[in-house]
Amino acid sequence: MGTYIQNVVVFTFVMGSIYLLLALGFSLICGVLRIFHLGYAYIFPLTVYGTWMFMSALGWPLIPSILGMIAVQFIVSIIIYKGMIKKYMATEDVLLTALLLVALIIEQAANYFYPIQAGVYLETTLAEGTYQFGDAIVPKQLIIGSLIALAMTGAFVFFFVKTKTGMAIRALSQDIYSSKIVGINVETLYMFTMMIVLLPVIIGTLITAPVWSVEPGMGWMYMVTAILVAVLGGLGNIKGTIIASFLIGFAHAIVCFVFGEPRFMNLSALILVMIILVIRPQGLARSESLW
Amino acid sequence: MVEMELKRDRIVIRLGTKKWEWVLEPRYWRNTLLWAAFLMIAPAVAYFYSPGLINTMISANIYAAIAMPLALMTIGTGRMNFGPQFYIGVGGYTAALLSIAYGWGPLTTLPFAILMSMVAALIFSPLVIMARGLYYVLLTLLLPLVFLEVTFIYTDIFKGDTGLFGIVPLLDTGNAKNNFLLIGYFSTAIMFAYLWFINKILKSRYGLLMASINDDEDVAHSIGININKIKIIAFVAASTLIGIIGWFYAHYFSSFAGITYLPLTFMLKVLLVLMIGGRAQVFGCVVGGYFVAFLEMLMIRFMGPIQPLLFPIILLILLFILPEGLFGLYRKRRYREYLPTIHVRR
Repeated sequence: MGTYIQNVVVFTFVMGSIYLLLALGFSLICGVLRIFHLGYAYIFPLTVYGTWMFMSALGWPLIPSILGMIAVQFIVSIIIYKGMIKKYMATEDVLLTALLLVALIIEQAANYFYPIQAGVYLETTLAEGTYQFGDAIVPKQLIIGSLIALAMTGAFVFFFVKTKTGMAIRALSQDIYSSKIVGINVETLYMFTMMIVLLPVIIGTLITAPVWSVEPGMGWMYMVTAILVAVLGGLGNIKGTIIASFLIGFAHAIVCFVFGEPRFMNLSALILVMIILVIRPQGLARSESLW
Repeated sequence: MVEMELKRDRIVIRLGTKKWEWVLEPRYWRNTLLWAAFLMIAPAVAYFYSPGLINTMISANIYAAIAMPLALMTIGTGRMNFGPQFYIGVGGYTAALLSIAYGWGPLTTLPFAILMSMVAALIFSPLVIMARGLYYVLLTLLLPLVFLEVTFIYTDIFKGDTGLFGIVPLLDTGNAKNNFLLIGYFSTAIMFAYLWFINKILKSRYGLLMASINDDEDVAHSIGININKIKIIAFVAASTLIGIIGWFYAHYFSSFAGITYLPLTFMLKVLLVLMIGGRAQVFGCVVGGYFVAFLEMLMIRFMGPIQPLLFPIILLILLFILPEGLFGLYRKRRYREYLPTIHVRR
């Protein structure tokens, strides 16, 4: 019994934190832009394959390659915002289809230039080996990733609660027209949001890249997790996203360590979300504001 | 001397003192018959010159036959369903499992595939009443993914990793080429039947009620329309029609794998047929189905390994430059009938 509890507690923390890192960006886009970013899946392969491209094609070391990839991500997100989101905000059927296509194009581009047999591997391991907490054994990389996730979420919360720009973004998430009236530059903040939401996703992907599998279609799986977390939390609410991440982490931990059926992990999360959506369609937290 | 004059809606042909007029409306009965004749002759021509084209025609007919009920569902429920492939899975797995377990042929499995699709649609039909806006999108998006997970978890039943094999084929004349031709005609018949049926519904009183729900369901409710009844009927009928396509896939390929039809990528293809064809226009779905299937085939044939990358890029460009889809090019000349609006946020 003690072993079960230790495993469930440790893995709820670890998985919940990593899911939080992967889903925070999606939730913020939902909250601020009030759109359902179905192209979110492109960020994951672009992070891995973008970095790899700089390393293999240009022969850059890891850190400059990551910085180069971040610059590419910023440029792509600006193009997506200016070319799609801004133009087709009113016709969401076109926007969602176009965003899905963008994710597919990036996946196919990664697959064309670096197919699975190319053996893409990023040396982003921060710590080798494992930690043992009682009976629970966890890779050090994931523990460090969890701590980074919490620090990053804390920084985002601080930014949105305490800084002027953060408050302006929160105002924007509540009412665009009123925000315009009080002099908030909507366009600039939208673009700024599109760029800052990339940071947790990029960091999360780089941390998990040496531990979890890397392939061109990886983005879809991560996006489904991000959708589940964001929906469960109440689209766009950071408090709700934090709770939902750990709830899904808990569901996964229970299924793995209590029922001993890891293959039920994804299904358990999907069913949990569907049940909560039927009972409480607005998600766990109110989605009218970010915090 | 023959003189031809193109007017707004017709071509006028004059020969001496005689004059003929040809109406350009695609649904004008003579034009409809011409289109139908073309689609019926095409597989026979392909049979002699390029039998591989029949396969593309079958794909085109089936894409159109999935997109048309989706268009009906979009109009009738006033919402965009992002997981129509769930019902392909229900129909396909029902047919496949029964055929493998009992050796049943397509005619025997068809009623069960219809029944199961209908039951599944009825079970999930409350969603069109309860869920609104992005939550409806999410729930419908998640349903096929849940089903896909189930096929992997219970892989001893669904063979989620390899797919089910050994399903009784749709037709077996003893000659593969003849089978192809007959199945090509059968798929065209299904597509025409769907087109006729859905067009009839949309032109009927029920179609008017559905259009009013699509425009504004609160207003429709306030003028006394039983919106819940209409929405559920539209949802269940359209889902069942999509389920029949699952049955077709299972018997056509004699195998069925959820991983082919249930992921987001297949849904994206159906969505593109709907959008590039004509933004939920029923006739546009046929245009979209043929366009997407033939574009894909031509690109595979001439572009080689870069095709999977170029195909979505071309579709993305078309999505932006054709605001009402390919059928919208015609509608610019004959702007008269109801244009459904696809609602996501509602």
